[in-house]
Amino acid sequence: MSATKRTIRAWLAAAAVVPLVASLAACSGSGHAGTGASGGGSGSNTLTVWAWDPNFNIYAMNEAAKIYQKDHPDFQLKVVETPWDDLQTKLTTLAQSQQADKLPDIFLVQNNAFQKNVINYPDLFSDFKGSQVDFSKFPQSVVDYSKVDGVNYGMPFDNGTAITALRTDVLQQAGYTVKDFTDISWSRFLELGKDVLAKTGKPLLSGQAGSSDLITMMLQSAGASLFDKDGKPTITDNAALLAAIDMYQKLVKAGVLVEVNSWDEYIGSFVNQNVAGTINGVWIVGSIQSAADQSGKWAITNLPKLDGVPGATNYSANGGSSWAISAHANRDLAIDFLNSTFAGSTQFYDTILPKSGALANWTPAGDSKVYAEPQPFFGGDAIFQKVVGYSTKVPSNNTGAYYYEGRDAVSAAITKIMSGTDPATALKEAQQTVEFAMK
Amino acid sequence: MSTVTLSVPERRRSLTGWVFLLPAALLIAWMSFWPMIQAFVLSLKTGRGTRLELADPWWYNYQRLFDDAIFHTTLVNTAIYLVVQVPLMLLLALILATLLNDPKLRLRGLWRTAIFLPCAVSLVSYSLVFRTLFSTDGMVNDALKGLGLIDHPVNWLGQPGTARFVIILGLLWRWTGYNMVFYLAALQNVEPTTFEAARIDGAGPVKTFLFVTVPQLKPMILLTAIMSTNGTLQLFDESYNLTQGGPAYSSMSMAHYLYETSFHKNPNFGYAAALSYAILLMVAVLAAVQMKVGDRRD
Repeated sequence: MSATKRTIRAWLAAAAVVPLVASLAACSGSGHAGTGASGGGSGSNTLTVWAWDPNFNIYAMNEAAKIYQKDHPDFQLKVVETPWDDLQTKLTTLAQSQQADKLPDIFLVQNNAFQKNVINYPDLFSDFKGSQVDFSKFPQSVVDYSKVDGVNYGMPFDNGTAITALRTDVLQQAGYTVKDFTDISWSRFLELGKDVLAKTGKPLLSGQAGSSDLITMMLQSAGASLFDKDGKPTITDNAALLAAIDMYQKLVKAGVLVEVNSWDEYIGSFVNQNVAGTINGVWIVGSIQSAADQSGKWAITNLPKLDGVPGATNYSANGGSSWAISAHANRDLAIDFLNSTFAGSTQFYDTILPKSGALANWTPAGDSKVYAEPQPFFGGDAIFQKVVGYSTKVPSNNTGAYYYEGRDAVSAAITKIMSGTDPATALKEAQQTVEFAMK
Repeated sequence: MSTVTLSVPERRRSLTGWVFLLPAALLIAWMSFWPMIQAFVLSLKTGRGTRLELADPWWYNYQRLFDDAIFHTTLVNTAIYLVVQVPLMLLLALILATLLNDPKLRLRGLWRTAIFLPCAVSLVSYSLVFRTLFSTDGMVNDALKGLGLIDHPVNWLGQPGTARFVIILGLLWRWTGYNMVFYLAALQNVEPTTFEAARIDGAGPVKTFLFVTVPQLKPMILLTAIMSTNGTLQLFDESYNLTQGGPAYSSMSMAHYLYETSFHKNPNFGYAAALSYAILLMVAVLAAVQMKVGDRRD
């Protein structure tokens, strides 16, 4: 074997081994290097944020940074777009592998998942104890989502107050106005819905089959939930739930509510004018307004209330999210930043509302001029002020750690009930499913 | 090769071989086997979040599997996918491979590519396309209505039976071509003279297929059967993206349920680890049975 050949071989071998060694080193090294998305460093003027939806949450965050930068020129904000499903997966994985320092300073959490995460992984979160934040300026029901054992862990942002949106032109054809749908009961809504359907051929509502969104909105409107104060499931013998399911069945049977299969179909049902209204969180107006040709033909009002259920109101909520501060964050800076923007600046809320439709949970924002501006799409009604008004009247409900188990079990029960199973039996099964999950 | 004393160059060669094997072996041990051991330890634990303790009794999470109604539903769903889809797919792949192996067939390359192409599509995107196709106002309903076969749109994804059917159809579309390629490759090693001999003996295409082609492809059929079984038991993307497991868990696969218990619902990692070991056990047992059956020499 000649010398050159041997050198070539040696080089080849080296070439084969080096990447391997390098990758090994990289694997073991990443634990200390901290090159990930985390900022976490205290003392610096930079905050990192995980949030989803560039046109909504991320946009709002960046605008908040601009406002904060006026008084704090050194301040820097870095937002990493992270869809909620990914965010939840990352959160759980980082918690489980005890690498909480890889979290950003601030991250957005769905209200319904907030308690679950705090209860399971308290080490991930910084609380707002002793901070300047005045939580009484937010609706009680919204603050309660991110409260565990009386301690605040979240700054409410995305407003999930429920609204009834209706097509006024269709109502007019049937001889009604939106007033006839304001402050009414569900039985009256059903009656009116049947009449509108008979006269115009259009159902008033649509919803995803097997989704419990409408049911949970009905429940919360009566201050009821799938869990009691101690977090025990109350799916059986729950008067509000039975009333809600009974009404849901009646709506579907009468054809006033049509069931569809996917979210896209649901949006399509009113955008394509097959359905003359919808009930959902106020964020749905973004989708409603995507049909520009229907401008001026929509109106919003409050929800119908459940008949014969104590504590029933015309107000509820669906969805929404709050900002959380991670345990390794620069807590003082993060709280000060959130407090002087999301919980202290009407200017901030006035900026983001027209551009993104991001509606404040912070009650003082509702008094500003921007919120009082008439919206031509909704017949010149000042809907944003109206909804901020609604939000203060939404009853609190208990989510707890097992909210998703409860919701999914009830969704399954609804599917079974709609295909003929007796409600009491199906709900008993759902109760057992949740009890099993909690064992 | 028991204790044979090796000569020095031989020993050196064998040593070199081991040195080359070592890095890969270490990596596999470190990145695959070590996590598996950790997962097993995890499956014996229970608790909230990261505050996990050894369960009492230690088989608690495994015992839980027997009482879990949702797990049973997902087990039945997966079994249905396995029993209906895998044999159907392998048979189709075999037939397609035999047809496309015909040297007289025109545009062979085109057909082969066309049938293999679905495999190059991402699992998520094809699932979403299928969901759109089978939505109540989707193309399938429109086509069936146009042909006068149905009056009202079928709620494909909203009923247990049809939702499972759509998943099976999706799996067939996505994976048949993949398995066909294995058979095609194997067919290249089959002596053409055997087909010729069969023809001379007066065997028709069906008989040739059953008694000449299939027996010679046996090792490959075994391989694809094991791979497909393994894949089906770990089915996730279709269940997650196409039907979201619904309606009422009736199309959810075991792996999807495992994901739900870890990330969607209140995290229960001990139980999720036990679930994954249950799936591993099933895969191992089924593979062992298939090897035993497939390896029988007659």
